Amino acid sequence: MTASSSVAATVATREAPVRRSRFSRWLASWWSLNLLLGAMSIGTLGLLWEFAQPLGIPGVKEVPPPSEVVRISADLLGSRLYWEGWMLSVQRITLGFLAAQIVGIPLGLMMAMHRNAFDTIFPIIEILRPIPPVAWIPVAIIFWPTREMSVVFIVFLGAFWIVLLNTIGGAANVDPNYKRAALSLGSNQRDLFWRIIFPATVPSIITGMAVGMGIAWEMVVAAEMIAGRTGLGYLLWQSFEINAIAQVVVCMISIGIAGYLSSEIIRQLGGFAAPWRRTH
Amino acid sequence: MNRGIARGGALSFRHAGKIYDPEGARVVALDDVNFEIAAGEFCVVVGPSGCGKTTLLNAIAGFDQITSGEIRMDGALLTSPGKPLLPGADRMVVFQQGALFPWKTVLWNVTCGPIQQGKLSKKEANEQATHLLARVGLTSIENQYPGELSGGMKRRVEIVRALMNDPKVLLLDEPFRALDALTKSVVQEYLLELYDLTPKTVFFITHDIEEAVFLADKVVVMTTRPGRILKILDVGIGRPRDYRILTSQEFMRLEGEVRESIHDEARKAFEAGEREMAT
Repeated sequence: MTASSSVAATVATREAPVRRSRFSRWLASWWSLNLLLGAMSIGTLGLLWEFAQPLGIPGVKEVPPPSEVVRISADLLGSRLYWEGWMLSVQRITLGFLAAQIVGIPLGLMMAMHRNAFDTIFPIIEILRPIPPVAWIPVAIIFWPTREMSVVFIVFLGAFWIVLLNTIGGAANVDPNYKRAALSLGSNQRDLFWRIIFPATVPSIITGMAVGMGIAWEMVVAAEMIAGRTGLGYLLWQSFEINAIAQVVVCMISIGIAGYLSSEIIRQLGGFAAPWRRTH
Repeated sequence: MNRGIARGGALSFRHAGKIYDPEGARVVALDDVNFEIAAGEFCVVVGPSGCGKTTLLNAIAGFDQITSGEIRMDGALLTSPGKPLLPGADRMVVFQQGALFPWKTVLWNVTCGPIQQGKLSKKEANEQATHLLARVGLTSIENQYPGELSGGMKRRVEIVRALMNDPKVLLLDEPFRALDALTKSVVQEYLLELYDLTPKTVFFITHDIEEAVFLADKVVVMTTRPGRILKILDVGIGRPRDYRILTSQEFMRLEGEVRESIHDEARKAFEAGEREMAT
């Protein structure tokens, strides 16, 4: 049949390797081009900042130029305080974020699967969720025995709501035809959960994690500023109090890098947990 | 044509009826549906939107109950009011929007049914899957995810998945609706090829009259709400069939006959809708 052979041919050509020179392959591979563009735009921003600073433009003149930031950062990067700050902030993020997943994902799945559980728990969630996590800081300080625990709790709250809502949304909106198909194919209720509902919810969970991680970093910095004695957020605020603005900038950039690295970890995790989504 | 003999799969509908929301709006989706499908027969149901075609299919598949009458397969009761729902691998469904599991590879999708039910070993299932996929022109796609395939490829994989379970009845709900005309005609021919290869009762739903006559032994025309049987036509065109029958006298006569009865129905449905709007 001609139709079948032409379809087979299409499949074959799609998989055939495209021959290119080493250099053009390197140039064409998306990441190197991305990296190049990224480095160029950051470099341009730095140069603009460096040369605009001495011009005395309001808003720019108060912030030290990159050269000074680099000089200060050399000092800061050599100090134990700075690296301790990194370590403690990362530790708080890890604990709070993991706790949010451990509580949020099973709770969300349960609420999506059982109507009664949803009707019982959802009203509570809808009242508590609009309260910004930062507003919980005073209560957290009173409630938790240590400052450390209250900061972790604020991080937990930052990531928890979004993970919970994404899990509920994902699991409740699984295409009913997947369930029907699975039942026809001989699934029991247990298979239905582990083989259909759970994998179908994974992409929503990953999205929740990605957004939740961003909020977690916002929360750890805010909580450290108010309730902490250590961490990057605390260091940033201390630097401001002693009017070391270059040091503030170094802390800001550090937090930016930390947030970026965390998002990258979630992205990698997402690609690993939902390999079928990689091609989209 | 050397078709085998179907091992059962005869369906009979006796006064089958379905009312949605009986206490409230009372939408009559099916009303006193009576007809028979012989074992191994290719039956296509056509009718305007909302005529209860999918309701009928869901009742056969065991996804939904009917509210009066009964549906039997080979004499055994499949569904009647109050009977617990019983989906099973003897009645496989190919869904309108497709229901391949996107998180699993093509091979896993196609082999999970028979392996899960212990009908085939993993090795047997893999061999049979590769063989059947090749029959419909799909080679070396076993390890791809459904999301990487085109619409026409997905539909073929889905039909293969259903056939892998060796059902008595194959239920298809407008499976080729989203395909372009050229892909559609190719996939139709593949379906007929598979049908000629393995004897199965087929219950196929469509809006497309040409598709109905091209595929069917029996075309069932339904009326719009309440869904009733308007007309049953036997298509006497021999098998195997290919696109050349589309221009034959007999084909055009049958197509015309179906089109005429359905056109009246479509207009009635449309006018009823207008009246509803006016009041």
